[in-house]
Amino acid sequence: MFKKILIANRGEIALRVNRAAHELGIPTVAIFSEADRGSLHVRHADEAYCVGPAPAARSYLNVANIISAALISGADAIHPGYGFLAENARFAEICIDHGLTFIGPSPEIIAAMGDKAEARRRMAEANVPTTPGSPIVRSLDEAGAAAQRIGYPVLLKATAGGGGKGMRVVEREDDLPAAFATAQAEAEANFRDGRLYLERLVRNPRHIEVQVLGDHFGTIVHLGERDCSIQKPSHQKLIEEAPAPELPEGVRERLHATALAAARAVGYTNAGTLEFLVSGTDIYFMEMNTRIQVEHPVTELVYGVDLVKEQIRIAAGEPLGFGQEDVVPHGYAIECRINAEDPAKGFAPSAGTLTSLDLPGGPGVRVDTHVVAGSVIPPYYDSLLAKIVAVGRTRLNAIARMERALSETRIEGVPTTLELCRDIIRSRPFRDGGVDVEFLSHRFIEEWVAA
Amino acid sequence: MFEETVEHRLRPIAAAFAESDLVRIRVADETTEIELRRSGTMMRKAAAAVAEGEDPAPPLETIASEVVGIVRLARPPVSEGDPVDPDRELAYIEALGIRNPVRPRSPGRIARIYVSDGQPVDYGRPLFALEPV
Repeated sequence: MFKKILIANRGEIALRVNRAAHELGIPTVAIFSEADRGSLHVRHADEAYCVGPAPAARSYLNVANIISAALISGADAIHPGYGFLAENARFAEICIDHGLTFIGPSPEIIAAMGDKAEARRRMAEANVPTTPGSPIVRSLDEAGAAAQRIGYPVLLKATAGGGGKGMRVVEREDDLPAAFATAQAEAEANFRDGRLYLERLVRNPRHIEVQVLGDHFGTIVHLGERDCSIQKPSHQKLIEEAPAPELPEGVRERLHATALAAARAVGYTNAGTLEFLVSGTDIYFMEMNTRIQVEHPVTELVYGVDLVKEQIRIAAGEPLGFGQEDVVPHGYAIECRINAEDPAKGFAPSAGTLTSLDLPGGPGVRVDTHVVAGSVIPPYYDSLLAKIVAVGRTRLNAIARMERALSETRIEGVPTTLELCRDIIRSRPFRDGGVDVEFLSHRFIEEWVAA
Repeated sequence: MFEETVEHRLRPIAAAFAESDLVRIRVADETTEIELRRSGTMMRKAAAAVAEGEDPAPPLETIASEVVGIVRLARPPVSEGDPVDPDRELAYIEALGIRNPVRPRSPGRIARIYVSDGQPVDYGRPLFALEPV
């Protein structure tokens, strides 16, 4: 097992990793920017190094200072959390070059899955269903020919993309030239890689993803699915739940089997998530995330598995202590992301001081957060303040618990997504279950803002 | 242990405090708690100096580490009171096998040395205080 782990992140996920390491008896090293000097993740760690000024590009993405902090402190492994360097194959490679274990899959797998077009190619080879699409299109002419073959409406996507950047819906042929130009420019600006490919647009799909864990001895298990269809207009997730409610007969089993086949096909190790679009009984592979996800707690509560501890054990070369037949889901779990952003103003992120903070507790409620009353929310980073997770024997139990937990919560000082989450949880479509990705982003939010 | 605390923790904080307009500062971690208060005399003196139009003592310029690494003091090492020029390498920070030289931004006199040879430092850690000349 590792002697010491450096946690290359901030916020709630840095605390989450710190807890897992401490429970395994492993001392931790925090890194922080000048804006996070007093942050809880710094106080919980056994030692801490300032790695740069507030902007992430000079601190949480400062590879030289992070690696140097690991070497100086005597750490032998780095956990990247999510975001920042978590899916940076080059960073994983640099860790290995310096004799540090990167807690995640190999650089090769990160690189292959991070390239969307390459990931789709590999999945198609493994007979994993993907939306009908094209390889990289080098010109507008190539894009036009590919779109004709696939059939409109199509989705133009950046191969290096993520978070909806460099992505355009093209309804008809006439719209293609403008969409091609803007998507390419956006991809170039955001990822320094303007390469695009096309996919058929699946209308009103649900976003359902499957958690997998693989060790270095060839054992790969899935830990069920999470429904992440409640998304902001920017395609960022807001509320997630496990298991997915109201799935047509056989779809759940097919999702699990497909995810396992895909993970096996690439020889996946550590924790990963395969994201699918689900439309009726059709499932399409979308992408694979080669890291721990924000919404991992819903899976942990339903399956009773500590995913972060498993990540550490796997990276240390231990075999998974269980097989597929040993992991059985119990009950339902829901997560609400409480972000420092104003849903009434297009989810604009807000910075400021939390003048008052009451967090919920009690049976079946878990809160993952890095903030306390008086915390200053800097403008430089992700706006996630807290993840409130409720678990219940049935989905209705979990909903009742979540309603109770949210009503106990009070946050003053910055606008948050708390009230919006509460109103979604109380809404008829959510209670009925099985809403699609357009529910919040196109329907609910407009009525909510108007009301 | 106490001397190390004074040298590496108290001195830089006191220097920063002296430069600031703060009246009270408290810094704490698991092992150490440092609280500094500006005495009434000091505040009155400063106020009187300003009132009489006297220049208060020139503020010290802090030279801080810009990387995470190990301090290697120059040989021969500089001493407190030494005059130095911007081309004088006071130390270098060794990080990933690379030497990152530490030089004053402007000519001055070494007022404080906050670090010792071989000490690990992180970003922003005060290394030297310089009294501008």
